[in-house]
Amino acid sequence: MAQDPLHVLWVEPHFPGRLGTVADWLVRRRGYRCWFYCHTAEAREHWPASVGHGLQLQVFGVGGAAREQAVAWSRTLERSLCYSYGCWEVLEARRPRPIDLIVGRSAGLGSTLFAPVYAPAPARVNLFDYYFHPRQNDLAAEIAADAPAAYVHWRRSANSIELLDLEQCDLAWTATNWQRHLFPVEYRDDLWVQHDGIATAGPGDVTPRDRRRARRSLAGRLVPEGTRVVSFVARSLERLRGFDRFWHAANALLRARADVVCAIVGDPVVQRGLDVQHNNRDYPAQLRDAAPPVDPERLWFLGRATPGAVAEVLAASDLHLAPGRSYPVARSLLEAMAAGCIVLASDTAPHREVISHGQTGLLADVADPEALYRQALVVLSNLDEHRPLGDAAAELVRSRYAQEVCLPVLAERFSTLAATRGRR
Amino acid sequence: MHVLFLHDAFPAQFGRLGLELKRRHGWKCSFLVQSLSSCPTPTTEMLQELDLHQLPLTVEHRSKEGIPWPQVFGMYLEQCQSVFNALRARPDLKPDLVVAHGGRGAPTLFLKDLLDCPIINYCEYYFATSHRDISYRIDLPPAEPAPFFPRCINAPTLASLVDCDAGYSATHWQKQSFPARFHSKIEVYFDGIDTELYRPGAAPRRIGEAALPAGTKVVTFVARGLESIRGFDLFMQVADRICRQRADVFFVVVGGEEIHYGWDKLHTGSPSFKQWVLNQGDHDLSRFLFPGRILPEHLADILRLSDLHIYLSAPFVVSWSLFNAMATGVPVLASDVPPVREVIEGGANGLLEPLFDIDRLTVTALEVLADPAGFFPLGIAARRTIEERYSIESCIPLIKRFFERVSLRLPR
Repeated sequence: MAQDPLHVLWVEPHFPGRLGTVADWLVRRRGYRCWFYCHTAEAREHWPASVGHGLQLQVFGVGGAAREQAVAWSRTLERSLCYSYGCWEVLEARRPRPIDLIVGRSAGLGSTLFAPVYAPAPARVNLFDYYFHPRQNDLAAEIAADAPAAYVHWRRSANSIELLDLEQCDLAWTATNWQRHLFPVEYRDDLWVQHDGIATAGPGDVTPRDRRRARRSLAGRLVPEGTRVVSFVARSLERLRGFDRFWHAANALLRARADVVCAIVGDPVVQRGLDVQHNNRDYPAQLRDAAPPVDPERLWFLGRATPGAVAEVLAASDLHLAPGRSYPVARSLLEAMAAGCIVLASDTAPHREVISHGQTGLLADVADPEALYRQALVVLSNLDEHRPLGDAAAELVRSRYAQEVCLPVLAERFSTLAATRGRR
Repeated sequence: MHVLFLHDAFPAQFGRLGLELKRRHGWKCSFLVQSLSSCPTPTTEMLQELDLHQLPLTVEHRSKEGIPWPQVFGMYLEQCQSVFNALRARPDLKPDLVVAHGGRGAPTLFLKDLLDCPIINYCEYYFATSHRDISYRIDLPPAEPAPFFPRCINAPTLASLVDCDAGYSATHWQKQSFPARFHSKIEVYFDGIDTELYRPGAAPRRIGEAALPAGTKVVTFVARGLESIRGFDLFMQVADRICRQRADVFFVVVGGEEIHYGWDKLHTGSPSFKQWVLNQGDHDLSRFLFPGRILPEHLADILRLSDLHIYLSAPFVVSWSLFNAMATGVPVLASDVPPVREVIEGGANGLLEPLFDIDRLTVTALEVLADPAGFFPLGIAARRTIEERYSIESCIPLIKRFFERVSLRLPR
């Protein structure tokens, strides 16, 4: 369906974040003109191509509680409001126009709550990632029972900015059905489920590779012929994404098979406020102290998860492990599937939405600490038999989670929504 | 049945309700409150018969100046924490039901970690970003937080509403103020007006220390705070015009100088909206009495003296004073706004005129003052409305059934 290009104001705490990729695609493929307002931005070399060519980046400052290094749990909304206010101040100063649509990703800090004070007419879309439950999902099921009361109080109160955005946006949008079901029942019918897609078509994007080829290399190191590469990818090497489980399984695999190399991509320093015990700490170092690696030479730590590093490791992977807790599906999992990897993931509700056990991947019962290792061993013993899982996974992503499938749907919805409302 | 009521103040909405539930049905009613209210004040019976517990107050809660608006949610969470701590320290308090006032969010957010009983929210109001409540008086000078605060003021209300088992509002209009998605969770039960205290009849013809001259007409205006949301400034404009037309009218204006809602201090730059209004015009204050806040018994006497009660609220929660005046049988001239229209049918049990139309308000008021007997039936009808729909006698049985149903987790 042909669509007129829109002028869109985007708000997200960090650029490019999640929406930056979407905005970039809409600029390049649909001729949109975008203002992207954020508080912080990646280094310029990580910006998408459309910055300066249809996508204008604007950083806003924050004041009040948002300037403090950390705030007490009871001040989380106050901090969010400071971000919203900071965004509004720069909108008022810069006065971008026209605006057909406002799209925000709250994520606790990037709310568009006050954007309508500047631009009341355009419709507002909000991308919702997560809704906290006091004792369920992420790490809460494991740590809430022994945590101080303040931990549960924080979780009970942390959804406030999401509730305000849910009430005031015109379109509430979330990426998966599992995420939708996290939200209170009163809001579920209004939450539109549409994944924003992963890049599968570009030169640096993940695509299925011929895994039978002889020569593979990782970060300049040649992978010896006959080696089984087991991969793990996460923004940071943390419990939420199951790095502790991976570590346990990896040690067992290294012990069991001499031909296994584990390729690990991710920042060793945990950057996750949810992990109150390990945030800003080197989690792999703690694991090393507690359970030294069987063979450090076969544990390849490849550093931060840049798109290039991720694509390279997934292209080389024979088995990708994703043993995370119940949390929104990691993009790296979908990227591994898109790359045709055989994926072995924890059997959680969010993973069950994208992986059908035995068809598009494998799921391991996390209640059984050895299940991950046992299934991994079976796969590594007979890669050819399991390769159809990777092929089916790649096909699934191509048909359901590729940007080229998802973003046209998003663009159509944006156009329809913008047509119903005014412009500033 | 043991009900634990939570409210900042006592008795407010729950004191009389608790007393009636105890006296009529033998229920145990406990209260966890921050302070005793001065409007209305608790009665001796309430203090003697009900189980009162006081929450320790933080410095912020004691502050008369309030806190910056972005910190309101934090204050609410601290209040939730205080309630949690107070109940954790009293494991012997094992209610069958918690009923919590949610004017700015019911402080119940953490109670499910302590109590296994249902929680009911008193859903007083959901603020709008425009065209209602604190955003309605755009005729006043602009205030800096006005575009922002209404967009986040409901955060505590939403958090507690999502979390509770059931809710109730005092009027249909209050219920409709909430997002439609929550309407199925909110029922409508009015608090109940004391029609024994507020009843028609003779009262001493005195105002304060002075006797009222024979033939003097009394016009009343009552609000907890004399502020813009309740139309105090508009009332003074009407009163001035009445003064110029009739020399036999005396005005009794009941209410404190505190500002409870909105931006009056910022609109005016004055700590008292009342004083700001009085400084604006050339008022003949010898014809006004401002007794401040008064006891309910005194208010009932003043209303019985009244020939006309004027109620000029913006679209917001209808004040108890309107119900009290109607129960007393006084003809009421009120602003023609949706929440008032739920209670008053113009020409049937009261009079309605557009809020900002000072001309029409004045003309209608003068018509009533010129012919009190002609408008007497309106007062009779108003009294009947209260007896049938808003009296303690008519409301308590409904609320009791609602509480019982929720406590037993029965379907509606």
